[in-house]
Amino acid sequence: MVVKSNTGEELLEKINKLTLSPRLFQLKDAMFGAPRMISVDRARLVMESWQETEGEDIELRRAKVFKKVLEGVPIAIHDVDVIVGRETEHLIGAPAFVDEIGNSVAGLWDEADKLSRWMEFKNKEDKEILRKCSRYFDGKTAPDYVVETWRDVFNTWPQDISEAKGADPTPDSGYYPGVTCRGLWEKLLSKGVRGLIEEAKAGIKSFGEMQENDVNKLYFWQSAIIVCEAMITYARRYAELARQKAEKESDADRKKELLEIAGICERVPENPAQTFHEALQLMNFIMVGRGLEAMYPLLVGRVDQYLGSYLEKDLQDGRLTLERAAELLGSALILWGMKVVLPVGKTQLETHQFSFCINSINLGGVDRMGKDATNTLSYLVLHLIGLIKISSPTVLLNWHSGTPRSLLLKALETNYKTKGGIPLFENSDHVVSSFINDGTPAGDAREWYGQGCVTPILPTKVDHNGSEGKGAVNVALLFDLTLHRGVSQITGKKVGIDVGDPRDFKSFNDLYEAFKKEYKYVVNRVLWMGTLAQSVEPKYLRFPFNSCIAGPSCMEKGRDILITAADHSYGISDRAIVDAADSFTAIKHLVFDEKKLTMDELLSAIDSNFAGDQGEEIRQMCLAAPKFGNDIEEADLMVKEVGQFSGSVIMAYKNPFDVPCKISREGLSWHYFGGLGVGALPNGRKSKEPLNDGSISPMRGMDKLGPTGVIRSALKAGFKESYASCLNQKFSSTVMQTPESREKLAILTDTFFKNGGQHIQYNMVDTKELLDAKEHPEKHRDLVVRVGGFSAYFVMLSPEIQDDIIYRSEQGC
Amino acid sequence: MVGLVTNIQGYSIHDGPGIRTVVFMKGCGLECGWCSNPECISPHAEIGLVKALCTICGKCAGVCPNDALVYEEGKLPVIDRARCNGCGECVDVCSYRALVLYGKPMTAEEIYDAVERDKMFYEASGGVTVSGGEALLQPQLVCELFEKCRKDGIHTCIETSGCATESALKQVLPLTDYVLYDIKHMNSDKHCEYTGKTNKLILSNARATAASGVATLFRMPLIPGINDNTQNIKETADFLKGLGIAPHVELMPYHRLGKGKYESLDKKYPLPDILQPEPQHLESIVKAFESYGVECTISK
Repeated sequence: MVVKSNTGEELLEKINKLTLSPRLFQLKDAMFGAPRMISVDRARLVMESWQETEGEDIELRRAKVFKKVLEGVPIAIHDVDVIVGRETEHLIGAPAFVDEIGNSVAGLWDEADKLSRWMEFKNKEDKEILRKCSRYFDGKTAPDYVVETWRDVFNTWPQDISEAKGADPTPDSGYYPGVTCRGLWEKLLSKGVRGLIEEAKAGIKSFGEMQENDVNKLYFWQSAIIVCEAMITYARRYAELARQKAEKESDADRKKELLEIAGICERVPENPAQTFHEALQLMNFIMVGRGLEAMYPLLVGRVDQYLGSYLEKDLQDGRLTLERAAELLGSALILWGMKVVLPVGKTQLETHQFSFCINSINLGGVDRMGKDATNTLSYLVLHLIGLIKISSPTVLLNWHSGTPRSLLLKALETNYKTKGGIPLFENSDHVVSSFINDGTPAGDAREWYGQGCVTPILPTKVDHNGSEGKGAVNVALLFDLTLHRGVSQITGKKVGIDVGDPRDFKSFNDLYEAFKKEYKYVVNRVLWMGTLAQSVEPKYLRFPFNSCIAGPSCMEKGRDILITAADHSYGISDRAIVDAADSFTAIKHLVFDEKKLTMDELLSAIDSNFAGDQGEEIRQMCLAAPKFGNDIEEADLMVKEVGQFSGSVIMAYKNPFDVPCKISREGLSWHYFGGLGVGALPNGRKSKEPLNDGSISPMRGMDKLGPTGVIRSALKAGFKESYASCLNQKFSSTVMQTPESREKLAILTDTFFKNGGQHIQYNMVDTKELLDAKEHPEKHRDLVVRVGGFSAYFVMLSPEIQDDIIYRSEQGC
Repeated sequence: MVGLVTNIQGYSIHDGPGIRTVVFMKGCGLECGWCSNPECISPHAEIGLVKALCTICGKCAGVCPNDALVYEEGKLPVIDRARCNGCGECVDVCSYRALVLYGKPMTAEEIYDAVERDKMFYEASGGVTVSGGEALLQPQLVCELFEKCRKDGIHTCIETSGCATESALKQVLPLTDYVLYDIKHMNSDKHCEYTGKTNKLILSNARATAASGVATLFRMPLIPGINDNTQNIKETADFLKGLGIAPHVELMPYHRLGKGKYESLDKKYPLPDILQPEPQHLESIVKAFESYGVECTISK
């Protein structure tokens, strides 16, 4: 049954006709064209404040840092701005977090030349100021103390496993403490920051009345008042600046607009938002405030749920035209999407992971009662993303069995317009039932949102995960270590344990048991590193502002978000399961079942990286072994088995608050980085080549049945133990370019999810990949050209026809 | 009953309603100059060589029981088409999958197994489409397959040139839910010139198909300079209007994607000079059909 939309057809028609307004075009153009600046003002103010408050309580010190920064950091309103507020005075700029990211950053400035490819300093003096500030904090930040503790406990192991790309993030790749979550937007919009101040005052009052003994609570509430007042002051600075600019403005329309902006900045975020414009401005101020306290962004989350009613009411009352609403919303999306951060550690510097900081917007889904929650804003955001074509923020379409077909089609249209990947689709029915199975009340479970990419979290729960120094473990590497007695093939260091010489293994079972031992050893250590980090960090770092605006129970309990008990906790993401599983399947086939090769022959071949004719012949045998993604029961069930085993180890681990860890298998772009540490594998992958992308995507070029075959395999592997997984699919553009073809892709998506799929993302094959397929056909055998009544793979086309397709891809048709 | 199948392709979205699995049968009564599936023309198994994938490793040398594959060191292997019987021995030894077997013998049961696996995707809309080659040249096999599909609630479709006996058509139609029927040229001489056969049988089978009541979409491969002239468009429109069903034609714009497969079979590409039609040209053909009262769409 096809579900219909609640939003009127007439309004949808109007949204579909909206074009990119000149203002949005200018804003995007200006921000894309602007140099990305490194701003040192925050670093300077933080250092000054830190020197002034030496010896005081950590919570209060951090609150005073926030106040000093928000009162002193230079601000600007640019000609293209209608929603105002950025972390720096520049169109695009990143404040430096010398106080929070540890000595990795001090080392970084020695390599500032590398950095300058992407970002620049205003002048030489600034560079010197930053050097001075980072030297001041060198060795004194929370991550520094975490790393020191790790060294005391594990010796050089954290460094070694990091160099072997066995775990990420780790000291070398840099990690950042903190909690990534969305703002408590409903509360902020309805009470304003003044409401938070009242809550903190009430806390202090009850502290006296109840004769409480825990002085930390008192300090927290005092800090809360300091940071919230600072936020209000910061907004007032913009109001004043807008008035000054209005006075000098000769264009009457802009003058009026600047005065309107000034009025809004006087009202929010102090007071509750009354209009759509005020609501967006309030959210932006809160995000900028958080962006000056902690490096990673405050997540937007389910924006259609908080702002949908503002939009609908303003449109109904005639206070706002749809065009103006689009301009306001589009401006906010660009600001939130184009937030840049500095790299944390050398790995990020080298892999350029840092440029745009990932925010996340969720659309659709269900309300607390389980009814479809789609509204006008859901469509408007999708339409704007299709017009603006920015790759960040991440957009997640929260699918459930009652998602209107029109929303799914709109999302696929955006997917086509942005050339793929946006939005990603995630199955709410699976996520909600996962939370319910863990004892979460259904209403709370339905409020989940995606953190960064697919990992679902709840606004009612604090979730320490990911960025805690225990982000991910490389399952493919652990397989590699099993074959090599715990020694990394790339660094030559022993990072695992010796589980015996594989040549002595008598059966497949011997091999698998050896892997289990290797796995448990490394994974338990990585998990322990994470929990240790959680106990060290709050001694040296607090986030009073973030606690007020994003910590679900912080204000009530008088506790900083960093020390609030995590009542839901993702352990680590176990990545590259498919590579490991396909390698197991290949060994089982070639060595133990069909005995085409001895273990020694296979090991010699992979240790030589399949060198020579014989090596290549063995590689072809490896490639020909059954692969996940082709609906081959044996290969699919191997993925399921490795996933279940891995999950059981992680879920047996408890966080410091005695809550068992959960699993979420995101993928990010880590497959490239993770692959650098893994030697040649029995699945035919060569040494240092990228691993599989996503977490449940087949090996590159190895799925031969097309998307339906891949989906059947993914459903068989299941990954039911995980709250989320990533299935990336790549198509030529013909699969999405017409409404008719998108209708069919909607059926494919619905079918996948209704049968238990968790996440799917559709990317379009780009020109670069087509060129590579022409050059290296052996790597792209799965690329299908779909035209009616025709059957062929891209690699089988004649060269000039390939050129023609490449040309058309370049022209966008 | 065993038939020869060149490919079974899932998630086909241009070959009938919804998401379809297309079964490409081997063997066709026509030999159209614009054919994009030349590997489906001969009714016998054939070996193709995808030159881009061949590394000239020499493993295929000497394996052919009929001495049809000649390998000279440092050169691409050459297949003696007169000797080759498509046994596939050389394909089995090729590690790089540069040698491909066109035509795998399959029973209706085996084909059904491959089709049925995607059943969950057909539930909203979709099913199986037998294409080719010519579906109606293996009516017994198609009937066996369709009977199984029908029993299982899977929607059935054939993609046909209509160049088959009326009895084959009448055998298959009762088990078919949807027909994609190609009309190539109304002028019988021209038809013969470009396809090797006159259109007499095709047109009479078209009438029979329309009269059968099975939902049918008539399609026209649009080949610039060959069947896109005003007279042919008008005659095609008149023919469609005379069939007693709502007149509708879907254009299949000519494309050259099949060229590589000709090369893999050492066949000459028959229409080297014809380019795919421009969008404006397609639009003008759509307008022309519409002016004659025939609904016209373009396959996308």
